[in-house]
Amino acid sequence: MSAADARPRVAALALAVGIVLADSSIVVLALPEIYRELDTSVAGVTWVLVSFNLVMALAAVPAAHVARRVGPGVTAAIGLAIFAGAGFACGVSEELATLIVARCVQALGGAAAVTAALELLPATVGSEKRAAAIWASAGATGAALGPAVGGLLTELVSWQSIFLIQVPISLAAAVPILAVAKHEMATRVIETELRPAGRPHLAANLALAMVSAAIAAALFLLVLLLIEGWRLTPIGAAIVVSVMPLAALLGSRLDPLVPSAKARAAAGAILVSGGLGGLALLPKAEVWLTVPPQILVGIGLSLVLSALTETALGGRAPQAIHGGWTISARHAGVVIGLLALTPVFTADIAQQRDDAIDAGTAVLLDSKVTPLLKIELAGRISEQLDGEKGKVPTIGPAFKPLPEDPEQRAQVETLRDELQDQLDRGATHAFSPSFGLAALIGLLALIPIGLARRVDL
Amino acid sequence: MSAGFRSQLLVGCSVLASLILVGAYLAAGGSSYTPKATADPCKHREWRDPGSLQEVAEQFSLSALDGAACELGVSREELARALPSEEARQKFLDEYDIGAEEFAKAIRAGLLRAIQDAEDADALSPLVAGPLRATIEQIPLDQAIELVEDASSAFETFQNFLGPAGDLLEEIFG
Repeated sequence: MSAADARPRVAALALAVGIVLADSSIVVLALPEIYRELDTSVAGVTWVLVSFNLVMALAAVPAAHVARRVGPGVTAAIGLAIFAGAGFACGVSEELATLIVARCVQALGGAAAVTAALELLPATVGSEKRAAAIWASAGATGAALGPAVGGLLTELVSWQSIFLIQVPISLAAAVPILAVAKHEMATRVIETELRPAGRPHLAANLALAMVSAAIAAALFLLVLLLIEGWRLTPIGAAIVVSVMPLAALLGSRLDPLVPSAKARAAAGAILVSGGLGGLALLPKAEVWLTVPPQILVGIGLSLVLSALTETALGGRAPQAIHGGWTISARHAGVVIGLLALTPVFTADIAQQRDDAIDAGTAVLLDSKVTPLLKIELAGRISEQLDGEKGKVPTIGPAFKPLPEDPEQRAQVETLRDELQDQLDRGATHAFSPSFGLAALIGLLALIPIGLARRVDL
Repeated sequence: MSAGFRSQLLVGCSVLASLILVGAYLAAGGSSYTPKATADPCKHREWRDPGSLQEVAEQFSLSALDGAACELGVSREELARALPSEEARQKFLDEYDIGAEEFAKAIRAGLLRAIQDAEDADALSPLVAGPLRATIEQIPLDQAIELVEDASSAFETFQNFLGPAGDLLEEIFG
């Protein structure tokens, strides 16, 4: 196949990998919107994310085996069609249960498409190493861009649009692959080499799972902190979290400068943990303070994911099976991260909300405003809290209209700011233990990275 | 620059960047950015120098809240949120499994502590404190709660209830 003929197919395969792996994180910014619209709980809405990643983790390796037997072209084309159809079902879901089921089906199709793409790429580009590099960078780009794109779509259109827009994109990606599928079906010749699969690289895949758990926490928790805790709009949060993919781009420039995959993996894991440590210790509820930790996480994720994927695939055949193992490890890590941290986080946010309300009540009781005004404000604040249905509230509306008397007005404004400060403290601190735990998981990934010395990680 | 040195440099820079970030956030107060802790209601709270009836009444209310909360083993803030409505009160009693009698006893204990605190702060004459204590043992729960919530508005009711002692109260607070 000439380079010119291969280009559309390579682009289609990269697009397929990118869109499927973006789907792992694309709904992160839409979760608060889904949470409100489908009237569910934080734990319930987490399953919109968990279900997709769980099925990807379970289906990736079997899907790779199917691709090798049925044919990667047929598998990728069918996978993308399933992914598109299930994406449409997600977009029209009106209940959490149907959305979760559709997400599971979407992940099945996605797993087939992604692993088959890795089987098709070496034949298309003529080199297993180049194929692995294209596949890994398409996946990393998709995963990094996912939250920002999801946030933009949620704010500009709706959360449903995140899924509906995937339908034409995944069908467009399937078109150049259809030629391979037709060829496979007509000739019964599969464009892959049916070699027996070797053992997966245990240390690299274990480290991938642990780092992915930490990164999932970084994305998921940061988005929740920005939208639910600090009351940013999805588009505002999308702009803020786009620091991470931008930093990841910067990090990818370091890859050619440091040939040692082990050093890049270790440095990446340290940076991810350092960034998460920073998020656990935010000294104020201010958006700019999330930027330095995000830069560290972004550079770190780029270094560690590419180094570990490269290591897991390096010198191992067939690529699809080992690629399947890396997909499985990454998504299993995401699931473990979300399932381990969500209970910690939900318990903390409930406790911190109560503590913040207690602190706010103390501020109100000890304030200089008149007792009658205190009672009136207490009533209005209670209504505001009830109206927010367990969310961290914006306290400002409870203070409107402000008293006309300048002295009282100044006292009430001071009180309002103090109360909001207590709520911000509670909201921010609620995320600290989860970020801290995620940082620890990221650091623990250094163990498999360090133990893998004998296999030249 | 050798590949080995670049590897060491990358890992070293990563460690350094992480330590600088965590250290800077710790130094900026990252570990103490938490909601203000609520005070122990059983500990005595100093009264501000009361300048008017309103200030005395307010500090009286706060002392009474502290005393009642201490008796019930809850925070002053939780109790304050439970008082404004019957619904909120019932929710609070259910949540902490507190009986109506126990609650009334705690509210009265809180009011008695407020009288003591007012006496200690020289905001209430011992001449009034005695009859007030006796009265608090007798008044219905609703009136006791009113007194905790807003002592100044309840003084009128109280004054009527006390009869001649009420005039004395007004004179002393007035």
